[in-house]
Parts: sequence; C-alpha cells; structure tokens
Amino acid sequence: MIDDLVVRQADVFRNKMGIEVLTDHRAEGIDRVGRVVTGKGPQGVFAIPYDHLLVATGATPIMPRQPGWDRPGVMVLKSLDDGRRIKAFLASRPVRSVVIVGMGYIGMEMAEALRAQDIAVAMVKPRPALLPWLASELVETVSATLEKAGVAIHTGFDVAQIVDDGDRLQVMAAAGASLTADMVLVAVGVRPNSDLAAAAGLALGPDRSIAIDAQTRTSDPAIRAAGDCADAFHAVTGQRTWIPLALRANRTGWAAADDVCGKPVTLPAVVGSAVFKVFELGVARTGLTAKEAADAGFEPATVTIHTASRAHAHPGASRIQVHLVGDKGSGRLLGAQMVGREGVAHRINTAAAALHAQMTVEQFSQMDMAYAPPYGPAWDPLLVAANQLIKTL
Amino acid sequence: MRFVIIGGDAAGMSAASRARRSDPELEITVLEQTQDVSYSA
Repeated sequence: MIDDLVVRQADVFRNKMGIEVLTDHRAEGIDRVGRVVTGKGPQGVFAIPYDHLLVATGATPIMPRQPGWDRPGVMVLKSLDDGRRIKAFLASRPVRSVVIVGMGYIGMEMAEALRAQDIAVAMVKPRPALLPWLASELVETVSATLEKAGVAIHTGFDVAQIVDDGDRLQVMAAAGASLTADMVLVAVGVRPNSDLAAAAGLALGPDRSIAIDAQTRTSDPAIRAAGDCADAFHAVTGQRTWIPLALRANRTGWAAADDVCGKPVTLPAVVGSAVFKVFELGVARTGLTAKEAADAGFEPATVTIHTASRAHAHPGASRIQVHLVGDKGSGRLLGAQMVGREGVAHRINTAAAALHAQMTVEQFSQMDMAYAPPYGPAWDPLLVAANQLIKTL
Repeated sequence: MRFVIIGGDAAGMSAASRARRSDPELEITVLEQTQDVSYSA
C-alpha cells in the first residue's frame, strides 16, 4: 500500500521517457572545474560528467544526539522507507503506546494515524506552546481536539535520554519525568541536505539551505538547486527564507528544467501557505505571524475572530477561527491563520492571493467573495476578520 | 548535452520530466541514493 504513493515508478521514467534513473547511486562530490559528479553505486564508484547539474537532495529529519536515540523503535518519518520501517515495527509486536517527540504537523498527522489503531499517544516538546507559530486562541482549539481524541500533551518536556530496558522504551525528561512507550517517533523538524553543495563551495541561504536566484541557479551558474534543499524569496518580507513544501518542490523542478532548456524563467516568491489535518480539524496558515512580522521590521496589528462555517441556521455548521496580521505603518495584510472543521483548507488560498498581490487590509476587505449558505456566511469569515483588523491599523 | 540531477523525488523528477518534454534530445541522468523515486508524501 505504501508503494501506491509512488507517482511514477523508475521503470516508467527509464522505458517510456528515456530518462536514465540510477537508483542506489549516492552522489558524494561535485568537481565544479571538471564538471563531474562522483559517488558510490552498486557497481562501485562512479564519475558522471555534466553540462548542467541540478541539486535536488531534499531535506532530512532532525535527529537529536542524546543517549538512546539510536535504539530500535525510535523512528523518524520522511521517506517511503521510513514509512515502511514504522509499519513493519507496528506489525512485528504489540505496540500499546507511542511517544511522539515534537508537535509539528508530521507529529499531529501521526498521532491521528496511531489513535485510529487504538494506540495510546503522548506528544512531548520542550517549549511551552503546542504550535508556537499559531495564535493562542487557535492553539486552544487544536489542543482541545487532541485531548478529546485521547492524545496526551506534555509541553515543557525536554527529552534527555531514551532508555531501552529490552522490552519497552523509557523516555526520560531532563526535569525527571518519564514516559513509557513501545515506539518513539521523532518529529522535531527537518534540515536541508546541503552538505554536498556546501562542500562544493556553493553559497548557502537561511538555515543552511542552498541559495538560488529566480532561475534556480546557485552561485555556480552551471549548477541549479530545487526542492526542499533550496531557499526562496518571501513575497511579504522580500528576504530570503527556507520553507520546504511540496508545491514549491514541484515548481522549482519545472523552473530548473525550463532554464536548462533555454526557456525564460522567473521563479515567483513564496508566502508560506500551508495546511494540515489533525483529526476533524483543518489548520492553515499563509504569510507572517505577528512575531515574524515584528522581526522583519513591520509594526504588526492582529485580530482573532470566529464565525460559523455556514450561513445562519444552516444545519451542520461548525466554528471557523480566523487570525489576521496587518502592518500599522503601511496597512498591508501580512498573514492569515485559520482553524476549523470545514472551510479552512482552500479558504486560506484567498489570503495567499492577497499576499502575492501585496494588498492592504482595506483592499482585502473589499474583495468580492463567493457565498452560498452551505459554504459560509454572507460576510466570509476572512472579510469579518479584515473588517475588524482595519479598525486597529 | 547532459543534464545530471542529484535526487529523484518531487523536485528532481519534476525537472527530469519537464526537461524531457521540452527537449527530446537532452541526455538526462538522475542519481537517487534510495530505491524510490517520485513519491508523494
């Protein structure tokens, strides 16, 4: 079933598209002067010359180095092989409880998948906030949903070590608390796989991602970078940023190919649009948080509202929360966040479009948005929030 | 002309496919360190 996730098998690329796909080939060095990639494959070392090179090496889950983190049963989830390892582990023994280290969207999505198998789940993280980038009223909704689903939340839990007693794993906090688990999932974020590029002397960007221009070119014009390993310009701040997400990976791959083939390319900036599902809730964001706005030199004003997800008296309605960030100086819309059972995942794209267009909150509040009772109130939740935010700018 | 791509997931295989559509003559080689290419996570 995991193999269903493969969009196209290597053989399709090889046989139908005439693309040489060399699996089990690990690139280990780039000779920029001789234009050769070296590495190791099934037949030993290889050296492959290039005219154009694309570095699309992705990102890797961050794995802390404290004692015990290398024990069997301590897992990460990024690649298909990681997924296969987790499924095999769950099938190989009775797993009653799992500790998830980290509370980002990978951790939340795994919490849901494990609870669906009736496995006890505890989530731990050192910092006090569940989702530090999410507005506090919206965080309350997410944590209530997790608790209702039987997920135990332990903030302020800084894992010092994991002890394998041969049967189960003891996850020990620096402060002395401990949790027992059959499996530990480490989901504390990813880092760009930029060591190869850095060793070749290519310029790096934020968080050690590979710095690229609007044609995906690195500091060596014969080498391009795309996907999770590459940086981007942020449309709101105008600064370089590193936000590794799937659409961007696909888009930069296309852009790199077009540039190699001599087609005109201008890669757009990003606004950091993202959405994830946690049990029945959708959680979405685009643009800057208030803190990111302040750090970028804006003077942020925020508003948090909630409305019904459907028109007044329409059956089946639930609550949508909207948090908007605007700039007091320029009146610009800087960011949006939303939490709700329905109407969140795609509504966030309206705010994303406004950020790309660099709209003011006033302009955003004047947008003509669609309405029908099953899909929202006549005043869209985003417009309700924008009308409130205008008053504080 | 040879286009070499390091990494066979979303970005790498998008680039390989797009380059092939644009240029049937281009030599395209993808180096992938695992067994899997082009998965959607």
